[in-house]
Order: sequence, then structure tokens, then C-alpha cells
Amino acid sequence: MVTQVTATNASATEPETWFLARQDLATLIARLRDGGRQVIGPTVRDGAIMLDEIDSVDALPVGWSIDNAPGRARLVETGNQRTFDQPPGPTSWKQWTYPPRVTQLAWEGEERQPRLEASPSAPKAFVGVRACEIAALGVQDRVLLAGPVADPDYVARRRDNLVVAVECAVAGGTCFCTSMGTGPELRDGFDLALSELHDGFVVRVGTPAGQRAIAGLPLLPTTADQVSQAQASVARVRATMGEPLPMEGVPERLIAAAESPRWAEIAERCLSCTNCTLVCPTCFCSSVTQRSDLDGEAATAERKWDSCFTLDFARVAGGNFRTRTEDRYRQWLTHKFGTWWPQFGSSGCVGCGRCIAWCPVGIDVREEVMAVSATAPAVPAAPAVPAVPAVPGVPTPVTKAVVEPRGVATPNELPWAQAMVVDSWRETADVVTLRLNTDDARLLAGQPGQFVMAGLPAVSAPPISVSRFHGDGLELTIRAAGPATAQITSLERGATLALRGPLGRGWPVEMAEGRDVMIITGGIGLAPLRPLIDALLAKRDRIARIHLAYGARTPADRLFTAELDRLAQSGVMDIAQTVDRAGPEWLGRVGVVTQVIDRVMCSCDRTIAFICGPERMMQATVDVLHERGVPDERIFVTLERHMDCGVGLCGHCQLGRFFVCKDGPVFSLAELGPGFEIEGL
Amino acid sequence: MPSTTRRQNPRRPRVGVVKFASCDGCQLTMLDLEDEFLAITEKFDIVEFAEATSNRSEGPFDVLFVEGSISTPEQAEEIVRLRREATTLVTIGACATSGGIQALRNLADHDAFRAAVYPSPELIESLPTSTPVAAHVAVDAELYGCPISGHQLLELLTALAVGRRPQLPDEAVCAECKRLGNPCILVADGVACLGPVTRTGCGALCPSFDRGCYGCFGPKEAANTPALAAWFDSLGYDDEQIGRLFAQFNVGAPAFNQIVVERRSLEAKR
Repeated sequence: MVTQVTATNASATEPETWFLARQDLATLIARLRDGGRQVIGPTVRDGAIMLDEIDSVDALPVGWSIDNAPGRARLVETGNQRTFDQPPGPTSWKQWTYPPRVTQLAWEGEERQPRLEASPSAPKAFVGVRACEIAALGVQDRVLLAGPVADPDYVARRRDNLVVAVECAVAGGTCFCTSMGTGPELRDGFDLALSELHDGFVVRVGTPAGQRAIAGLPLLPTTADQVSQAQASVARVRATMGEPLPMEGVPERLIAAAESPRWAEIAERCLSCTNCTLVCPTCFCSSVTQRSDLDGEAATAERKWDSCFTLDFARVAGGNFRTRTEDRYRQWLTHKFGTWWPQFGSSGCVGCGRCIAWCPVGIDVREEVMAVSATAPAVPAAPAVPAVPAVPGVPTPVTKAVVEPRGVATPNELPWAQAMVVDSWRETADVVTLRLNTDDARLLAGQPGQFVMAGLPAVSAPPISVSRFHGDGLELTIRAAGPATAQITSLERGATLALRGPLGRGWPVEMAEGRDVMIITGGIGLAPLRPLIDALLAKRDRIARIHLAYGARTPADRLFTAELDRLAQSGVMDIAQTVDRAGPEWLGRVGVVTQVIDRVMCSCDRTIAFICGPERMMQATVDVLHERGVPDERIFVTLERHMDCGVGLCGHCQLGRFFVCKDGPVFSLAELGPGFEIEGL
Repeated sequence: MPSTTRRQNPRRPRVGVVKFASCDGCQLTMLDLEDEFLAITEKFDIVEFAEATSNRSEGPFDVLFVEGSISTPEQAEEIVRLRREATTLVTIGACATSGGIQALRNLADHDAFRAAVYPSPELIESLPTSTPVAAHVAVDAELYGCPISGHQLLELLTALAVGRRPQLPDEAVCAECKRLGNPCILVADGVACLGPVTRTGCGALCPSFDRGCYGCFGPKEAANTPALAAWFDSLGYDDEQIGRLFAQFNVGAPAFNQIVVERRSLEAKR
């Protein structure tokens, strides 16, 4: 009766299938554990079906199901002995691949070097993974593994996961995988796939690892009847879910509906409590929290799950991009169903329905997606994003928008380099320039407009633009806007500072060749533009005219004043400065910086503009440049957003199809599109 | 390379702990930091803390922790004086941050209460309301909870000592509850839980023990209490139950108070 697994059962086209009697599931689980794997599977805990470590088949939820509806998930007894008749519960596999809290780095030794923490992770077997969840693992892989920088902890935890998938035999009241094209049928992405029949399981082998896992199990060849029973079962699940939602064109319409009145209506019901994002198997946003003892020694940085629904999520020094609940809901829904496509080549939603069932007030994302997209204005004929749903497990043809790289590529790891303060001086009352030495080749190869994360033990590491590159180091010009920057600006000569970078995409210096350059900025905004000026002056003969329009609140708030005077006198560039409030010694211009553009600007047909300042100032400047006929392709801005990682992993700086940290911070207006001017994006 | 050098404050900051109308529980949370308390006294010079030391000081303070609500005319004067003595003023606990359980009297007839309790009510000098410290003077930081979390207190002290921003998130209790891997008792059991509208900080203590959150850390930012109260209606809770749920330690916080007032008026109409 016992048949050893061989490859001969598999034909060239059909996957290999076997029958595993119900009582022998115990052996499969035991074998996985004996093989040194931590086995994770569904189990009944605290009145719900949770994904926990299981020590035997007895932990599986035999005879239990869940009655799911918006805002409701009640455990119910089925009265039968089936094992896997449940829709997804509140935990998803990310609990194990991307845990809620992970120590990311520790500051160690005499020199307080930041060291990345390796994550200790036993090989795992995931038992009971559904089709939508396989798709979800794929979605997170595209975010956290695809790069340019992979999350090292995620890499370690995703290594050697054996996926024992289960094809759904019931659909929950909140399931909509058929609408998202992810299920219920298991197509790929598993090592083993189980279809539950009344007396056992049809087992499909997906990979050699799956084959090894069932070697020696008491398996029987499947009969045609068993295979057709399994197919009929999943077909019933598909039918139960009814007509799929008409998702075609929805991503484009959601993006176009940024100013829909529906957002404010949803906000009347939304609690901004973060539940939808934390139960979502694809949401990956995180924050980095600093921990230390009272002396600031024994410092560690911890990565924890965060959510775009928290107020802190979009906070920057001196402001917040999304204070209103409607802004936060729009951020989540348009990213998940809309801009995820051009960013990652798939939808961010897999249709598992967790966010519907586990919303404490039962907001149904199926309804909201349809309702919001119905309010969209007409979408331009050429769709900005593809409308074809991804097939789970199959590498999606890369339809994601390609962001044109500039300068050096972002590093493919997360190294921290030490730099030493060799000099520091005060530029204004609250702005200090640090001159740092380093022998880190990567840092020294930075490009104008790129930034670094600057870290001290026990203090959060803020992103800071490089204000000048030297052969043996760099300069950072920093405003003491909060406690972290206050500490960094008070570093004395000989102190060390950990830097990670250079990060992001800087100014397209080469595009300035043969053109008139217009640089418009205010206050501290001159700092990220100074390396651009350095680079332009280094090839002065290939640039037509260079203008700098520089505004500041008061004359004392201007940076690099001696240097600007020298440049102005030397005649290599035109500099027009203006202040909001003049002092007794100010003989120059008073007014906003946009007013001086007209005076200095010449031939708009060959002008390229580089702008850095508060978003409102940049918008006003863009309006003036538009009036003068400068096309969006030649207007470049650098954006500020909350950043915890700097490499596209933490999610804070996501803006439309971009992460500002890795796709920017410098963007042309043509790349940003109309979203640049909408409040709360 | 030499180790990181920072400008250190050569003098230990002078710390005071004072109280107004309150139960002292938040002060005890400070004493409950047994493992860290000695290290704290090495970093901070505790010059006033009646629960811990017989040393007394009327100021000045670099950091002053204030427990309790303002509930008498005398307290209303004293807090103004203390504010002048304190460089950084931190309120601790539900009483100091929202008026406490005693703010229930803000919704009642103060004179009738006094007459019911005291034989000579005219001798009792109390204000008709119990109000948070921030209603009287500017406050630099607030630690919420009834009582406060020792973990958050230590975080604030560490941040003060190290010179960084304290990590005191204003997200909902739900975020921490989910990170802990709890199933939501509101969704799974239909239990009224204030977690979605309540500020985090407790470590999702009650939901971890199968009890609904009763909001002892007060409303989170942008707390949408009307939407949650409406959901409780759909679960079968009546106006009295819903009103009472919000009429607890943070009844004085506007987002909670609003529901109490609304539900009492609905009850009265019936």
C-alpha cells in the first residue's frame, strides 16, 4: 500500500500529485519538525484563528471556521473533522517574515560603531498558506528583496521557507481574491499544495524542496476522481465569491480621484486606528525607534511596524504632510490599489479581506475602491499604469515605471561609515556646517543633490543633504531643528559621526550643459544646491549663464554669504538675493524670491531650473516659471519627506509612484505630475 | 578614531515631583522603577518628591513633574507659581492631562454634591470643575494614563538625559495590540473596546487579557469617537452603556466628553 515518492508519477505537463490520507497529515507535520524546521500554521487562540508555531497536527483548527463580515470575525464550529476550512485570520505570514519588532542595529565598542544585527532565524515551514497569501509574500518580496537595497533581516527570514499551501475549500464573507486575480486556485509559488477532501488531501509537488519534504510519507497515487473532487471544491469557492469586482482601469481612476469628496466621507467613519494596515499581508511600512540606557550607552535601533494612518508617519521637522484622516486614508488606498502598480508592477492588494473583517468599524475596502474610482474625473487616454492583474507566483512583466537613474547607483547594502569632524562653523544662528573627513570611497563618490543619513548612538538618524564634496570628505550644513540635529550640530572637532550614503538621486548636472541655469532657493535650501553650483562651475565653459535667486527671512538667515559675495564679484554667475525682513545694514532687495526671478531670467527657451525650498515656495516658483514658458521637463525640485531608512524600505516618504528617498529627492516636475500641488499627498 | 564626544551638562538637572488632586499612583509608578531608580538619581537631582524624600524645595526646577488636576482655587494659584519655577513642565497621568475621574463633576451639580457629602458645605473651597494642568499653564510634555506607564516615564527621562526626542507615540492602542499578535476582541468577540480611539502607551494591557480597553490613556490624536460609538450601537450596546464607557478616567478629554454628553442627552429624552 505504501508507495515511495518517485518522479515517475509526474508527466511532462501535469504537476505531480499524490493522495495523503487524513491521519497521515500528522506525519507530514512531524517530518517537517524533525527536519529542523519551525512549523507555523493556523491554530485556535483567543477566540480567533491565528498563525502560531505549532508542535503537532493537533494544534491545527480541526472542526473550526470563521464567520467573516465587515468588522466581524466570529469563530464557529463546523461540526465536521476538516482541518483547513477557514478564511484568513488576523495574522498573516509577515508576522514571521517581517516581524513587528526587530533590533536593527547596535552601537558597539569603544568607537561606537553601528553594527547591523543579524537575525537569528530557523528554517521555517509555513503550513496552510492560501493562494492570496502566496501572492502577498510575492508582493512583499518585490518591495523588500527586489532592491536596489534589500532589507537584510527580511532576506534572512525569507531564506529557506517551505511553503505548504492549502487550496481554499470555503470563502469567507470578506474574501475577494477573484477580483484581485490571486486565487482561490493555487497555481504556483508553493513547495507543496494540499487540497482537502473528506478523507485526506490531494498533494501537488511544486518544487524539489517540496518533493524532499514528502519523501518517505505513506502517499498513494491520486485517482481521477480525487483530482476532480479537488477541482470542483475550489471551483465552488470561486462561485461563492460571486462576480469579481470590475477592477479594470481602477488604479488609474483612483490616482485621478485625489480630490474626490468621498475621502472626507470615509474619514467620518475611519478611526485612523491602523488595524487595516497591520493585518494587511503586504503593508510593509516601518519606523526606527532608538533605545538606550540613561547614559546613552547600550544603544540599539529597533525597527517596528508602522502605519500610514498614524500622525507621526508623515511628520518632518516643522511640519506634517498628512494631518487629516482623509489624507491618510487616501494615502493608503491609492497606494495599495493604484500607485503600487507603477512602483512594483502589481497591485498592493491580494484580496484576502483582512482589512475588511478586522476594521473595528467595518469599512469595506471593496465598496470604497469602487465608490472613489467612480468619482474620478476622466482619465487621459494613455493609461499611466497597467490594468492587468498579476498572476500569483508568475513574475509579472515589468510594467513598473522606470525612474531614470542619475549619478551613482544606490548601494546594494546598508553600510554605515564613520566620519570624523575636522572642523565646524556657524553659518547662522541655528545653522552649522560640519566639515567631515572619511575614507569611505562610496561617500566620496557622492553626487550633487544626494544625501546621507547621519547617526549618533541613541539618537534618530535624520537625512541630511551634502553641502559640499571634498577629495577626503564632505560638508554637511545642518539646521538644529530638533534634538537629533541639535546634537549633530554641537559635535566638536574629533567627534565621530556615522554616515550612510550617499543616498538618492541628485541634480541632473549634465542636463545643464549648453543651457541657462536658474537656481532658486531660500534659507537652508541653498545647502543641497551648493554641490550643484560647484559642479556647474567646474565645467563653467559648457554652461551658458548661471543665475542664483536666493531668499531668506532676514539677512542673518543667509548661508555661505562670504562665498556668495566672492562668486558674485568674480562674475562667474549672477546672484540676486532678497530678504523678507531687512535689518539696518541691509541695502539689498526686500520681498519674496519669486519676485527676483523676472529680473534675472533671460531666454526661457533654453533655461533649466533647479529649486529647493518649502513646498509652498517651490509651487509659487513653478507657477512663475510656467508663466515664462519653462517646460516641466526642465524644472527640477528637491523634496523633503519623513525618512527612516533612506533606501525605499520604510515607506514613509512614498509619494505616488515614488519613494522620495531613492527615486528622488530630486525630481523633474514632469516626473512628479499634477500630484505636486495637491494638499496632503 | 576617538569616541563620540558630546557637550554634556555638567550639573545634574534639578527635578521636582508635585501633585494636585490625584491619588499619587503616578508618583508611585516612578518609585516602581526599582531597577532604574538609582541610575535616575545619579542623572537627576531630585529636590522635591514628597513620596520619596523629606528634602523639600519650592523651586527652581529644571524638570517638574506635575500629577493631579486643578480642583480648588488654591491649586489654580499654585500651578501658576510652579510654572514660573520650572524650565520644563511635564504633566503625568489622567488627572493632570484631562482632569481625571473627578472631572465627572464637570457634568454634574457641584453645589448639590458638596451639600450631599459635607455637613457644612460652605467650608469646602473647591472649584465647580476639575481641569487639566494645561487649561491653566503651558505644558511642555504630557505622560498619559491612569496610572502612567513606567516604560514611558523611563523613556522620557532617558530622552532628557541623552538629549533626544522622547518616543511617545500618539497612535491608537490597536497598533501595539496588533504588534503583540492579539486578535481584536472587538471584531472577534463583539466586546466594546476603546482601543481604536485611545492613545497607546499601556502596551495594550487590557485587550491582552481579553478585556476591552477603557481608555485610561485618553483619546489619541484625531480620535473619531462618534464613529466608534455608532459601531457600539450596531453591536447592541445601549446609550447608558456607551456613555459610561467614555465617562471614566478621561471623561474630561473633549473627544470622550462629547460622547458622554450626547448619550446622556439621548437617555434623558427617552
